[in-house]
Amino acid sequence: MSPDSQQHFALAFLSILFEGAPFILLGTLISGFIDVYLPAGMMDRFLPRNRYRAVLMAGLLGAIFPVCECAVVPVIRRLVKKGLPVSCAITYMLAAPIVNPITALSTWKAFQGQGAEMMTCSRMLLGYIIAVAVGFIVLRLPLRAVLKENLVASIEKDQAQKTAHTHETDHHDGSCCGGGHDPQGHSHAPESGQKMVAALRSTMKDFVEVGVYFSIGVCITALFNTGIAPGAVWLDSLATNPTAAPAALMALAFVLSLCSTSDAFIAATLAKFSWGAKLAFLTFGPMMDVKLLFLYQSVLNKRFIVCLAIGLFISIGAISIFWQNLIFQVK
Amino acid sequence: MKPYLCRIIQSLAVISWGGVILYFYSSGRMNHYLAPDFRPIALAGGLGLMVLGLFNILTATQEVGCGHDHGAEGNDVHDHESGEMHPFTALALMMIPITLSVAWTKDKYSPTALARKGLYDAPVSLITPFLASSMPKLTLKEIEETHRKTPEGFLQFNLMELFFATGDRELQSLIDGLKVETEGRWVAEKVRNPAGSRKRLYRLFMTCCAADSQAIPIILEFGAAPPEFPENSWVKVSGTMRFPLEEGELQPLLIVDSAIAAEPPFEESFMRR
Repeated sequence: MSPDSQQHFALAFLSILFEGAPFILLGTLISGFIDVYLPAGMMDRFLPRNRYRAVLMAGLLGAIFPVCECAVVPVIRRLVKKGLPVSCAITYMLAAPIVNPITALSTWKAFQGQGAEMMTCSRMLLGYIIAVAVGFIVLRLPLRAVLKENLVASIEKDQAQKTAHTHETDHHDGSCCGGGHDPQGHSHAPESGQKMVAALRSTMKDFVEVGVYFSIGVCITALFNTGIAPGAVWLDSLATNPTAAPAALMALAFVLSLCSTSDAFIAATLAKFSWGAKLAFLTFGPMMDVKLLFLYQSVLNKRFIVCLAIGLFISIGAISIFWQNLIFQVK
Repeated sequence: MKPYLCRIIQSLAVISWGGVILYFYSSGRMNHYLAPDFRPIALAGGLGLMVLGLFNILTATQEVGCGHDHGAEGNDVHDHESGEMHPFTALALMMIPITLSVAWTKDKYSPTALARKGLYDAPVSLITPFLASSMPKLTLKEIEETHRKTPEGFLQFNLMELFFATGDRELQSLIDGLKVETEGRWVAEKVRNPAGSRKRLYRLFMTCCAADSQAIPIILEFGAAPPEFPENSWVKVSGTMRFPLEEGELQPLLIVDSAIAAEPPFEESFMRR
């Protein structure tokens, strides 16, 4: 890299990092505190008994329990094991990184001067619609078509044990399970000071994990932003193509693997791309990217992940193009 | 690796990011990177990272539970601390790019990079609905009332107004032929300059951060050899504003009467507000 290129890269890298890091901290603080302070069964209480209504509601849970896409996967893995319907868990997993106040705030801030309100609302709405649609599809699928085989086996085993446990015992001393956990709702809660330490440790761990991907993502973005990356010219050449531009930015979102709390700051810098392409970038990225591909494999089976990726790519791309045309016709 | 060592390494990464943010903020260099309303957010973020890192480093050896169950069989790996990556790998990936960037940065773009940020683009290709709507709807009388006049009779305009007037027929017709004064950074004119009588004047328009900034340029026509100023230095020019059609595109062009060196303004970049 020439000294000139180094200078351009450094300026772009630091400016995006300074802009996005506070929002990652805010997101990871909330996810850290949820991780430690929120009881596992709490989310079930917010969902209606009707399966379809439950999916619709699950798409909005991110507004109450905001977590980014990195944090949501371990959360839903746990919630599924605790009996949350898979359709609701998948809907929450896809929607929560987008339909949450932190992402809304960061999108609104990043797009100041570029139709911030419209972009924020469109992103929330599209994220919600897509997540709920996937949830409805999952409702009709057998468990084994969605989840990993060992997770299905584990759920079935847990359910069998839970049934036996409920019928055979009526105790509250925790002796059945060796202590230290709460299948019947009791907990061996530590003092609040210890919980605070645990929450801030969880926050730091989340921040470092997200920070690593953010750092890599910002590097790649800075290389494209300043024209240093080999594909930058090619990417720019697609910017004005109404079909290729959303596809190109979704591919970029997949590669960059940015956190939903900060990806808007990168999308906003892609000045040559259309509004619809940026919307596709902001919706597809939090639902499917390289890091999620690995994270999803801890919960979902591989065939479902492939189908999900293809389905999200096509549907988000198509809706973004349609939405852009609709908005600009109205304007 | 022992858990407390892992915590210390993670804390160091967090403290380093916080430290860099606080250093750039306290030294004033942050002004080159972020728009004004993002700077307090960055300060809060930097302080928050420092507190988070220091808290975790000070409590690194403390053993705590989290207060809820971790599964009956141990197969529910609900771990609050172990990451997907080795702590040293994570530390390296977080530290190397930021360290190199701090070492490499000169807090500004060179003209080569600015060319990619619209320095030589026609004005119409950069207009967004917001920018267009941010321009005032004016009559000639209102223009004269809202712009200061120099003793020599030139109306003082900012560069952005002159640039975006190119894409606004109403404003353009009002400004065309006006005697105006403006200031910006002085660079060579690399297009449509066969006689060598032109230069270019620009400022940066920053929406949120330096990465999204765009160059806002106008062309300076001297009719003869232009005066000598250092590249990228601040220059104040006065003359008559025109919007000629060149190679099928309208261009903001100032026929210069005088050009003098100027002090850099307090905020180098145009901001949203």
